[in-house]
Amino acid sequence: MKKLTLLLLCLVLLFSISFSKTVTLNYLEVMTSPERTKLLKDMISKYEKENPDIKINLISPPYEQADQKATLMLNTNQKLDIVEIRDYTLKQFVNNGKLEDLSKYFENWKDAEDLTAVAKKAAYTLDNKPYLVPQCIFIKALFVREDVLKQNGINTLPKTIDELIDIAIKITDPSKNQYGFTWRGKSSEFKYSDLFASAEVENIKNEKYIYSTEKEFFNTEDYKRGMEKYIKLFKEAVPKDGVNWGFNEQINSFVSGMTPFLIQDSDAIPLINNLMDENKYTVIPIPEGPHGYTYLDYGFTGVGIPSYSKNKTEAWNFIKWLNSPEQNGYFNEHYGALPVHKSTYENNEHFKNEKYAAYGKEMVSEKYIFKTYPLDSERWPGWSQIHEVDMQNLLLGNTELKRVLKKWEAYWN
Amino acid sequence: MLKKSHTQKNKFLIYILIPAFLFLGLFIYFPVIKGIFISFKNYTLFDLSNTQFNNFQNFKNIFTDQNFRFIQILFNTIIWVVISLLFQFILGFILALLMKKPFKGRGLYSALVFYPWALSGFAIGLIWAWMFNGQFGVINDILLKLGLINSNIGFLSNPKIAMISVIVVNIWYGVPFFAIMLLAALQSVPNELYEAAKIDGAGPVKQLFSITIPYIKPTIISTTLLRTIWIMNFPDIIYAMTNGGPANSTNILATQMINKILKFYDYGQGSAYGVVIIAILLTYAIIYLKISSKKGNDNI
Repeated sequence: MKKLTLLLLCLVLLFSISFSKTVTLNYLEVMTSPERTKLLKDMISKYEKENPDIKINLISPPYEQADQKATLMLNTNQKLDIVEIRDYTLKQFVNNGKLEDLSKYFENWKDAEDLTAVAKKAAYTLDNKPYLVPQCIFIKALFVREDVLKQNGINTLPKTIDELIDIAIKITDPSKNQYGFTWRGKSSEFKYSDLFASAEVENIKNEKYIYSTEKEFFNTEDYKRGMEKYIKLFKEAVPKDGVNWGFNEQINSFVSGMTPFLIQDSDAIPLINNLMDENKYTVIPIPEGPHGYTYLDYGFTGVGIPSYSKNKTEAWNFIKWLNSPEQNGYFNEHYGALPVHKSTYENNEHFKNEKYAAYGKEMVSEKYIFKTYPLDSERWPGWSQIHEVDMQNLLLGNTELKRVLKKWEAYWN
Repeated sequence: MLKKSHTQKNKFLIYILIPAFLFLGLFIYFPVIKGIFISFKNYTLFDLSNTQFNNFQNFKNIFTDQNFRFIQILFNTIIWVVISLLFQFILGFILALLMKKPFKGRGLYSALVFYPWALSGFAIGLIWAWMFNGQFGVINDILLKLGLINSNIGFLSNPKIAMISVIVVNIWYGVPFFAIMLLAALQSVPNELYEAAKIDGAGPVKQLFSITIPYIKPTIISTTLLRTIWIMNFPDIIYAMTNGGPANSTNILATQMINKILKFYDYGQGSAYGVVIIAILLTYAIIYLKISSKKGNDNI
């Protein structure tokens, strides 16, 4: 009898262990900030409540070291089931064989059809295979201080890039500390000069990238004209200090009203709303170029599954939930980036707001052609630094445009 | 018997030192040696599938780089180190002399003087970047109101002024170190020497050069040597204020090393810059110590 009881007890114990087996998923985020980590943690606890057999362990290294931490963890096969990937890191993760091709999961994912065109492009960036599920999209639109424009007698909003340059120059008056355009002089400043210069070049629309080792247009008359316009804008509508302006200086100049035009991503909206009366400014789509369209680059982050993960199915189920239209809309509403599903722009009140609507319009209008940078090229790492130095030399008058364009052409060939 | 206890004592000493050696080896010497190895390898995060030794290619690349000319970066580094060190030392020495004599509120005064030393270099850079801002900066505002300038100065956007601006911040940051160290040394100078000098009719200047400076020379040598190494390896302020710009005018070896890693993902070239820095500092330290010990100082 004693033996039987013991046996029964053992059986009960064994069953209870096998039934209560919880799976722990390790999830590494890289775009870390205290607010974002909190947001993710809240969402995770919601998921854990709905799925009691899943536990998610969020790893949040400081932003500056996060990409390196991700590389290190992946390359040493450390326990990781979900990893955040950025446009900049995608190629190296795949190159090193560390990311799972998610094609078979995408086939049965009903929300895949709902992805915006840009989000789809982001997902299939590399080898036309989805290595990630996009989570945040970053594109640029034009922020306008209507109050400042009115004070300077301007009542219309610019529809073309030329109009934008004209208005910016017209209202510039250094004696009143009034300038036209919020310059970007460092940290990814190339995205600004490329926007202005590439709009002049019709043929880019047939290319995959704005420029790459296969095709570039630096030394064409069109690109040169675009650059000349951009330099003119600097000389006649921007304080000289702009050469050294990064994100913080941009926001400050715009909020103070010194420069009423700012080109920025949507995550600047909550920040600016905190700093000034949100009724004083508006956000409109980027003005169109001389050919009737503008090339816009897009940045993105997404989540993927390490190729060596032992919990791929559980990881996918969480990713699917995290990036469903409802959850992704909620996440981006609080984080400030753009959501990845079309339906979010129709159903979520927050993204119907006119400021975000500008981005929504850009994503559906034919006037905007989304082009990315050749992030998978070995020429890409460091290009931003080289471009920055050349551009600063150009604006400071240390070199001339012709030489710089020749140099860029040689760099990409 | 005596001998045995002696070896036992030695053994004990070795045992208690082992953790420290292990710690140093693991966190200091291993990374340094690994870094030296990487500097001879093709090691970019972009593609880790091929991390072969590439002889001296990384070094060749940094010496022939047309975008970031080595000569210019080296020249910037020398200016950054020499001018920062010189002013930090002179101002720190003056402060130490002023604080040597007791006066009312000396404690509070010392605390205020030493305050910058307690801050993070990166945070200082961010704060001063706003103060030096060409449009909203408080420094421009003060100079305008005092009537010293007619229009705003682009402290961080004018390549001729940018280096001066970052050096000013570095001086502000580094003065307390010299003040602390030299004050401690000054307090160790016996008062009798000054009294004897006074009797012999030596004035304050004579006393300074004949008693004070010779007496605290070992401290001066060790602190200036240490600070040279630290300033050269201190990219924080520049990184936060100008990121080496505009147009490379404030780019020093340490900021370029970071750029190679963070922007180019090139650990090979980044490590090569690190090795160059080590080589320069080692050469400098050897020469510096040789010269200073030749002049009759054996304390270092």
